[in-house]
Amino acid sequence: MIYRVGKVDVNALRGVDMSVAPGEFVAIMGPSGCGKSTLLHILGGLLKPSLGRVVVDGEDLAAMSDAARTDLRRRKIGFVFQRFNLFPTLTAEGNLKLAEHIHGNGKRGVDEGARREILQLLRLENKMRHKPLELSGGEQQRVAIARAIINRPAIILADEPTGNLDTENSTIVLDMLRKLNRELNQTIVMITHNPEAAQIASRTIEMRDGMIVKER
Amino acid sequence: MDSLVLSNIGQRPTRTLISVAGVALGVILVILNTGLVRGMLNDRIRREQGVGAEIQFMRIGAKALSPSSAMPLDVRYADRLKQIPGVRQASPIGHYVQSANSGLGVEVVDGIEFDTYSAMSNLRIVEGHAFQSDDEVIIDEFKAKHGKMGVGSEIPVFGKKMKVAGIYSPQIGSRVKMSLGAMQRALDAENKCFSILVKVDDRDKQEEMVRRIETELPGNKVLLTRDIGLSYGREIPGIQGFVRAVMGLSIVVSSLVILLAMYTTITERTREIGILKSLGASKAYIIGVIEKEAIAISLIGVIAGLILALIVAFGIERATTLQLEFHWTWILTAALIGLGAGAIGALYPAMRAANQDAVKALSYD
Repeated sequence: MIYRVGKVDVNALRGVDMSVAPGEFVAIMGPSGCGKSTLLHILGGLLKPSLGRVVVDGEDLAAMSDAARTDLRRRKIGFVFQRFNLFPTLTAEGNLKLAEHIHGNGKRGVDEGARREILQLLRLENKMRHKPLELSGGEQQRVAIARAIINRPAIILADEPTGNLDTENSTIVLDMLRKLNRELNQTIVMITHNPEAAQIASRTIEMRDGMIVKER
Repeated sequence: MDSLVLSNIGQRPTRTLISVAGVALGVILVILNTGLVRGMLNDRIRREQGVGAEIQFMRIGAKALSPSSAMPLDVRYADRLKQIPGVRQASPIGHYVQSANSGLGVEVVDGIEFDTYSAMSNLRIVEGHAFQSDDEVIIDEFKAKHGKMGVGSEIPVFGKKMKVAGIYSPQIGSRVKMSLGAMQRALDAENKCFSILVKVDDRDKQEEMVRRIETELPGNKVLLTRDIGLSYGREIPGIQGFVRAVMGLSIVVSSLVILLAMYTTITERTREIGILKSLGASKAYIIGVIEKEAIAISLIGVIAGLILALIVAFGIERATTLQLEFHWTWILTAALIGLGAGAIGALYPAMRAANQDAVKALSYD
């Protein structure tokens, strides 16, 4: 993946070759600027790679137009961000409904049973009427996770989900992600700087200078 | 999506209020201007048609609904008209146009021969008496009521104060009338008038009478009073252009206000647009969100504009003698202009939002 910064081409990723199996929980670690976020954005179809193939659930993102990648993101990807990225004017419930609305192309398609299961799992049943600013950081991130998973995507891409949280809330959020992975067999790719956070993943990939340097 | 639209509208009340005011202003402009044009013209047409004359005789180039203070016609035409078989009465009339006392618009003063005019129109004095000297006028009941005037009040005409000698009914012609002779002397137009009102023996033969008058007195303009309404668009120069200009101005004002408001909004919400993109929202979806918000704001603006226009119209009618007349087609036009301008104004910001780079938008602070 090559970025153009001013008049200089920057190779953000150089020949990254990796695969993630369904139901796997993969952590990606590495120093700042090593290409972790770029890799995550490419996996989520937010960026188009300059070269190569990126296959998500049988569909090659690299060969798709911007509109097709957007559509694939709608159908198969769920994002969790470090800064939560909830809509501040909507309640927790409103944030979830909006994700359902976009996923369902204007219709709500999630059945109440599945919805309740996710909210119970994330312990959010009593928080649905609250707006993001009325929730703690940990609660906001749980709402963001619920939003990412509500449409049962093929893969969840989490970009430093505990980066803005204290230890206690980080533990809760990581616990939730592990539960989602184990109980719902949810595929997760998570970027983290925190080695303890990476420990909950079934596999850890280490990156440096746009390349994968170690896997364990 | 609707809850996002509604919550965004409530999120920035000042911005919403300014946008609503911008759209409302456009709606008010259209409603009041068209209402005023329509009201004043129809009121004038009704009063012109109420004088009891089927035909108006004037010089070529004169315009029935936009009288000037010029007196180009010889009053002796009245005698010649009376000699034409089928003409029952002919009454010369003069006009003097001056600024209205309210400061809004103009006021026309009729110069009439009281006897012929009242015989033709059934004008009657309901209070006081007819003018008896050059510095006396009579006014209609409407002007007396709205201007809070009565017999003995003073009214400025020709730059000097004239005394109200009487109040007349019904409301016909201009609301202030004076002696034609006095008007001729004031305007230094001896034996001249603006037009001659003609009453015919048989109303069913008025077209035939027009042709007969044209034959007998060629080179003049002979107009059926009933056609005055039909020709008002042509009679008053630029009236349609004026209405169109007001509509265009309304569209520009409303569009620009919405464009600026929505442009500010999408800049403020760059990050949220990034979130929508990360959720898989298509360009059409994002354009839809912003357009819905703009149209919702415009709808509030249209409703506010309609209500305010009615309140202002009520105030104008109470404070002045101006008449406003609303018609549902213009109200609908004003509403569509408000909504359309909102939708057009939001289009560029919406497209700009939809084309934003998702990664850059997500990292926006």
